[in-house]
Amino acid sequence: MIIRQFLSLRRAGVLGINRRNAEYIMPFNRRSSFPLVDDKLLTKQLALKHGIPTPPLYHVVSHHGDIAGFERALAGRQEFVLKPARGGGGSGIILIVDRKDGKFMTQSGRAISKEEIHYHISDILSGIYSLEGLEDKALIEGLIHPDDVFSKVTYEGVPDVRIIVYRGIPAMAMVRLPTKQSDGKANLHRGAIGVGIDIGKGKTMDGVARSGVITHHPDTGELLRDIEIPYWRKMLFMASQSTDMTGLGYLGVDLVIDKNEGPLLLELNARPGLQIQIANQRGLLKRLEMIERAPKDIFLSPEKRVAWSIQNFTGGGF
Amino acid sequence: MKRPGLWLAVLLFLIPLVLIGYRVLRLGYPLFPTSPVKAWGFTLEIFFEPTEGNGKEIKIKAGLPESRSGQTVIEQRDLSSSLQFNLIPEGLNQIGVWSGDPERGRSLSYRATILLNPKQARKPKPPGPESFPTIIVDKSEELLARRLTERYASLKPPEKLKAILATTKGIWGEPLPEDNDLKRWSTIKEKYGTEKVLLLLLRSLDFPVRKVQGFILKETIAIEPDRWIAVWTGQKWEHVNAETGDLYDESVCLLPLMIGDSPMVTISGGKLLETRWILIKQTLSQWRAHFERIYRSGRFLDRWSLFGIPNQFQEIFRILLLVPLGVLMISVLRNIVGFPTFGIFMPVLMALAFRSTGLYYGLGIFGGVVLIGYLLRRAIDRLRLLLVPRLSFLITFVILAFTIFALIGSKFGIREFMAIGLLPFVILSMTIERFFILIEESGALQALRTAAGSAAVATITYKIIQIDPLQLTFFVYPELLFTIMGLLLLLGNYSGYRLSEILRFKVLGEKS
Repeated sequence: MIIRQFLSLRRAGVLGINRRNAEYIMPFNRRSSFPLVDDKLLTKQLALKHGIPTPPLYHVVSHHGDIAGFERALAGRQEFVLKPARGGGGSGIILIVDRKDGKFMTQSGRAISKEEIHYHISDILSGIYSLEGLEDKALIEGLIHPDDVFSKVTYEGVPDVRIIVYRGIPAMAMVRLPTKQSDGKANLHRGAIGVGIDIGKGKTMDGVARSGVITHHPDTGELLRDIEIPYWRKMLFMASQSTDMTGLGYLGVDLVIDKNEGPLLLELNARPGLQIQIANQRGLLKRLEMIERAPKDIFLSPEKRVAWSIQNFTGGGF
Repeated sequence: MKRPGLWLAVLLFLIPLVLIGYRVLRLGYPLFPTSPVKAWGFTLEIFFEPTEGNGKEIKIKAGLPESRSGQTVIEQRDLSSSLQFNLIPEGLNQIGVWSGDPERGRSLSYRATILLNPKQARKPKPPGPESFPTIIVDKSEELLARRLTERYASLKPPEKLKAILATTKGIWGEPLPEDNDLKRWSTIKEKYGTEKVLLLLLRSLDFPVRKVQGFILKETIAIEPDRWIAVWTGQKWEHVNAETGDLYDESVCLLPLMIGDSPMVTISGGKLLETRWILIKQTLSQWRAHFERIYRSGRFLDRWSLFGIPNQFQEIFRILLLVPLGVLMISVLRNIVGFPTFGIFMPVLMALAFRSTGLYYGLGIFGGVVLIGYLLRRAIDRLRLLLVPRLSFLITFVILAFTIFALIGSKFGIREFMAIGLLPFVILSMTIERFFILIEESGALQALRTAAGSAAVATITYKIIQIDPLQLTFFVYPELLFTIMGLLLLLGNYSGYRLSEILRFKVLGEKS
C-alpha cells in the first residue's frame, strides 16, 4: 500500500526532501558557499560584482549603537524595506510605503512608531529572524514597485519568481502571488499561491493554493493562466549566472520585476523548497535527471544553458 | 552497495553479532533477558537524638542484611546524607556504622534490595566455635537438663531436635521423667523463658546453636526484630521459633540480621528514639538478576560489563544507553515518517523526562508550561526586550513554573509534579520562543501541528525506551550501540520519500 504510493510518486518524478538533501544539496552545494546565500548582504555584493541587478541598498545597521542613526541614513526617503540579512522564509521583513506625522506606514496600512521600528531593528540584530540565531545585520533597501504584469492577480505585496537552477540550468520555475491570507507576503507557507511557469514559453500555468489546484486568484478572481512574463529570458539568464557566481549547483533563485528597473535578484536559497513541484503539477526529479544526461558542452556558458532549458522544458511532457 | 557507508554499516552490524554470539554461546548469557525475580525491599529507619552538650561524635551501629546462601543483597543505599556510613563485617554479622557530627540530622535511613533464589543455595558450612554459646545457669539446672535429655541421646540429630522441641509443649515421650524433675523443670522454664531453656536443652545434647535476630520475610513495618534459634543438625541449619519452640518449615524465608546476643541497634553519644524496619515485596525489574550472576564471574566480558560499575553510575548508564535508541527513533520519525518537531532532539529529552513524570503528567505539564509560557511571551512582547535577556526571562519563568508545580505536588501528594525537575527547561524555554514565532509567522495551525508532532514523537520515543527487556538488553549488551550506529548510517543513506510526502505530493502521484 505504502510502497505503491511511493512508486507512484517515483513514477511522477517527484523529488522528496531526503533525496533533495542527499543527492542534490550535499554533493552540489559546498558548505563553504552557504554564507554567500544565507547572508543577503553578501549575495548583494556578489551580484553587484557580476553585474546582476538587485534592489538598491540604502543602509546597513550592524550594531545596536547605530540604530538611532538609521533615520539620518534614510535622508528623507518616504519608502523603504527593512529586512534581516540572514532571515529565512520572508520573516522579519517590513515594507514601509509612506511616512506621516513621524510614523511609518506599512504596506498593509498599519502605522508604526519610530520606537517600534527601533525595536524591530534591535530584534533583527539580536538574530531572532536569523536562520541559526546568529547575530545579524539589518538591511534597508529600496522599495520595489512591481511591474503591472501580475497586478491583476496580486493582492497587495510584491509577487516574486522562483527559479530552481541545477548545475546552472533553470530546471523549474513558478511565480508566487500574495493573497489576502498571506498578508501581502509572497511565501507559500503563509498562504500565497504558487503558479507554475512554462520555462520554454515564459507563460504562467495553473496555480496551487493550500486548498489545491486553482485557476483564478482567490481575491481578485482573475485568471492565472497564460500570463506572459516580461524579461523572461533575461531572468533565466540571471538565474543561471547565480550558479556561476556562488558555485552552488542546486539553487533557488528569487527574482522580482520592478516597474522601472526590470528584473532584480532578491535572494538566493541553497535549500530551496519542494513546493514548486506542486505549483507546476509535475515532479522535479525527471528534469534533474534530464539535465544530468545533457550534452557536456552546453554547460560552458549561461547562454547555452538557458537555451537548452528553454528548448527542453516546455509544453506538456516534461 | 555503491556507498562506502553501507559497508561501514555492515561492519557495525558484525561487531555486536560476534560479541553477543560469544556471550550467548560461551558465557551462557540469555538471548532475551527475561524471567521475573522475587525480591524484597528492606528499609531501616532510625530516629535519634544526640546527648545534650556532648560535643562527641555520634555513632550508630545496626545489623544489616548480607548476601548468603540463597539470597543476594544488591543495591545497598545509605540515604542519610549527614552521617558517614561504613559497612563492617563483625563476626558473622554485617554491621552498618554511621558516624559523624550529631548537629546535622536526627534520622538515618538505609535501603537494600534482597534477591531470593533458592536454587542457588550453597551447601551450608558446618558451624564454627562461635556456635557453642555459653548459657549461664546454675550447675544444678544444667545437670537437670542433661538428665532430662539423656533419653534422646541415641536418636539421630533431626529426631533429637524434634523430641526436644516437643518438650516445650510438655510432651516428653514414654517413659515419663520423674515427677520431681518435671516440676523443677517447669519452675526453671518460668524463670528463664522458652528461648533460654530451649538453648539449655539443645546445648546439653551438644547441638551447635545460634541465637538469631532478623525477620521472617513478609510485608511488614516492625519496631522489633523477630527472634529465632538456628540449630545445626549435621547437614543443615534448622530454624526454631524462640517463643513457641515450633520448627519453621522450609517454605518460610528468614532474613537474619544479627547473630548472637548483641542488640540490633546501638548508639553512642546519643539516644535512640525509634527504630523501624520495613519489608516490602518487589517485582524487581530484571536488571538485578543478571547483575548477581555477572558480578560473580571472572570471565573477561563478564568483568568488562556495565554491571561491574558502582550502582549510582549504573543508573546513569541505564539512561544514557537509551539516548541512542531515542535519537534513532527521532531519525526514523523525522526522515522516514516526516513528523514536524520543535528542534531536532527536543522530543528525546522530553521522552527521557517522561520517565520520571509518567507519560500523561509529562505531556500535561509540558503543554501547560508551553501554553502559559506562550501567554507570558505575548505579554512581554510589548516590553521590547533584547533576545538574550528575553530567553533568560523565559527560562526563569519555566523554572518558577516547575517550582510551583513541585509545591502543588507536595501539598497534594502528587509525586509526578515534583519529579518534573528533570524536564529539560532550556529546551522548554526555546520551545516557547519558537512556538510564539511560529504562531506569528505561520499561524496557529502550523504551530499546533508542530507541537502535536513533537508530542507524538516524544510519546513514541518514550514508549520505546520504556520497553523493559529492551532496556535490559542494551545494558547487558552495550555493543548494541554499534548496531544503532549502523542503522543510523543506513538511515543517513535513505534518500527515498517520507511518508508525509505521500500526502504532500498526492496530487502529483495521482496524475501519473
